[in-house]
Amino acid sequence: MDQRGEITDADRQLAAERSGLPEAAVYGVSTFYDDLLTPRGKRHVRVCTGTACFAAAGEAHVREVEQGLGLALGERAEDRSLSVAETVCLGYCHAAPAVRDGDVIDAGPGAIERVLAGSCRPAPEPVQVSTFAEPVLLRQGDWSGYAARTTPEELLAAVKAAEVRGRGGAGFPAGLKWEFAAKSPNPDKVIVANGDEGDPGSYIDKVLMEDNPHLLLEGMALAGFAVGATQGFILVRSEYPRAKPALDRAVEEAKAYTDFQFHVIEGAGSYVVGEETALLSCLQGLRGTVSARPPFPAERGVHGLPTVVNNIETLCNIPYIAKHGAEAYRALSPNATPGSKLVCFNERFAKPGVYEVPFGMTVRELCELAGGVPGGIKALQIGGPLAGILPASLLDTVFDFAPMAAVGCMVGHGSIVAFEEGTDMHAVAEHLLHFGASESCGKCFPCRIGLNRAHAMFANGGPVDKSSLEALLETLELGSLCAHGSGMPAPIRSLITHFPEELGLA
Amino acid sequence: MIDITIDGEAFSVAPGTTILEAAGDRVPTLCFDERQTPFGACRVCLVGVEGASGPVPACTTQVRPGMVVDTQDPTATRVARSVVELVLSELPGPPAEHTELAQVAAQLEVGEPRWPGARHEPVHDERHPYLAFQHEWCISCGRCVRACDEVQGTFALTATGRGFAANVVAGLDEGFRASACVACGACADTCPTDAITELSLLRLE
Repeated sequence: MDQRGEITDADRQLAAERSGLPEAAVYGVSTFYDDLLTPRGKRHVRVCTGTACFAAAGEAHVREVEQGLGLALGERAEDRSLSVAETVCLGYCHAAPAVRDGDVIDAGPGAIERVLAGSCRPAPEPVQVSTFAEPVLLRQGDWSGYAARTTPEELLAAVKAAEVRGRGGAGFPAGLKWEFAAKSPNPDKVIVANGDEGDPGSYIDKVLMEDNPHLLLEGMALAGFAVGATQGFILVRSEYPRAKPALDRAVEEAKAYTDFQFHVIEGAGSYVVGEETALLSCLQGLRGTVSARPPFPAERGVHGLPTVVNNIETLCNIPYIAKHGAEAYRALSPNATPGSKLVCFNERFAKPGVYEVPFGMTVRELCELAGGVPGGIKALQIGGPLAGILPASLLDTVFDFAPMAAVGCMVGHGSIVAFEEGTDMHAVAEHLLHFGASESCGKCFPCRIGLNRAHAMFANGGPVDKSSLEALLETLELGSLCAHGSGMPAPIRSLITHFPEELGLA
Repeated sequence: MIDITIDGEAFSVAPGTTILEAAGDRVPTLCFDERQTPFGACRVCLVGVEGASGPVPACTTQVRPGMVVDTQDPTATRVARSVVELVLSELPGPPAEHTELAQVAAQLEVGEPRWPGARHEPVHDERHPYLAFQHEWCISCGRCVRACDEVQGTFALTATGRGFAANVVAGLDEGFRASACVACGACADTCPTDAITELSLLRLE
């Protein structure tokens, strides 16, 4: 792919031979992932269409690149010198809009001019600020938590007592997940770090994997210690080209601290692969489609082995618990969900970056931490594209699982994307549904067809029939196999509630 | 044995039994074939379960002691009907009356599509001496792929594409004839829309 810019049947036959997969299965894989679908020229330019880039530029940056380079998204020049594609999301939400030329990601003011001139330069990385005197997550992993471990039973008990809730969106208790796998009679178990959660607007996992890989590896080794696993996989997004090299280096260095075996595997561009069953399919070289549960990964995961799948930030919480215990961890967020939480802000904020905060602050306080939004906040989308949208009138909502859910929103993946005053909320709906439809894995019928129809309702320019939209949202929400289809209605429902006039409902 | 209630009737079934296995024909299905592993894709087998937060798929949900199942749950039926309505809206026209899809649509009394939109472009493979594939009728239920993998063991078919563009192809999208297909016909036998059918039947029409 990298050499010739496209996948040929000869490549597929070779892949089938080497992997032992049937040719048809290899063909199926090669038509699923973004990285394999788009033909590449000698120079391959990718334009980010994530939510933060949309909040910064609408689609103006996409049109500028298309016009300036003379190619539409997904096209390659006849002489194969150049190709242009869409990508979601590069994780430079603090400096949007972002564009990727080869493996150089440029973002922010002047980035589009530079890509047109062929002079991209690496964008600045985001600032990292902890509100804690002793940070839990924004401190370099030093393996001191791993060194402080006692017995697997005690560590598992501590993680359960600490009530670590998953930081990827669902908020499932990590200790419970570990316990399921620990109880399995199969002596071979696997830990998987989900580094392919591509929620547009969130760059928390990117920062942790690139700038603090040892904390993640330490957390994985501890997870392995607690459940009885000796190996683990990190599936890292290909949209973060700095992440895999950073992790590979850290894996070499980690050999000084642990015998736990780490395998770093790069994804190939698919949002739904962030769902755990799809992640496991991807990890095994298959199409990244969702599977019905049961079986849960804890019973049958990677190569049929009991598998714990955890979010990156979740695993990064573990070294602190191993070292300081559950009580100290719980005390970080008094009268709220235990632990600390990373949040990240988009470029519309005065001081965007990754901030480590306790649970229990109000959303307004969080926004003030990041310097507020000079253009004024019209609404926020917190936690990713499947999250409800919080209007400015509800900024005093407490940032924690239950209070966010009570207003149709979520903690989710911790991203805080501001849409400033003047943003067209009909365009927001269309943007989100375009993302939803193009990332549907295509397995379950409600999501495969329903998101295409929901997007069409907003993209066709006419009024949106409210009752048929409501029926479609119900079908998606209650019928879909995974959180992608069942979650996409949440932001649309918020927009119906808070901005009905703008949606053009009839 | 596990005691459950379905539509007010008492049942005693073995552990590991799914709701669909216990309830049988009273639950409509599209992506299910009893010879294959449940797939959970079509969501037409949704039923109500007392205490559940929403409708549950009967094909992939195992019974639990004391479970109370309502196959006529209004919400579950409404969602299942909408799903079939979506499926009909992506096809070039009404499915032939003898097909499973047409029968399920009739059983659920599916009305006019409320969400019109893109349909699949006609792509026909009639190069094989016995098997024909009309891709625009494919609803990505995966039954043909599982028939080939699990029943026949030939692995000649695959799901392809993603999202609305998902479909099924043989081999390296080269048609049945050039693929590993052994012409067993299991795919045509299980197809609920006649997207894959026997060429001779197609020529009769």
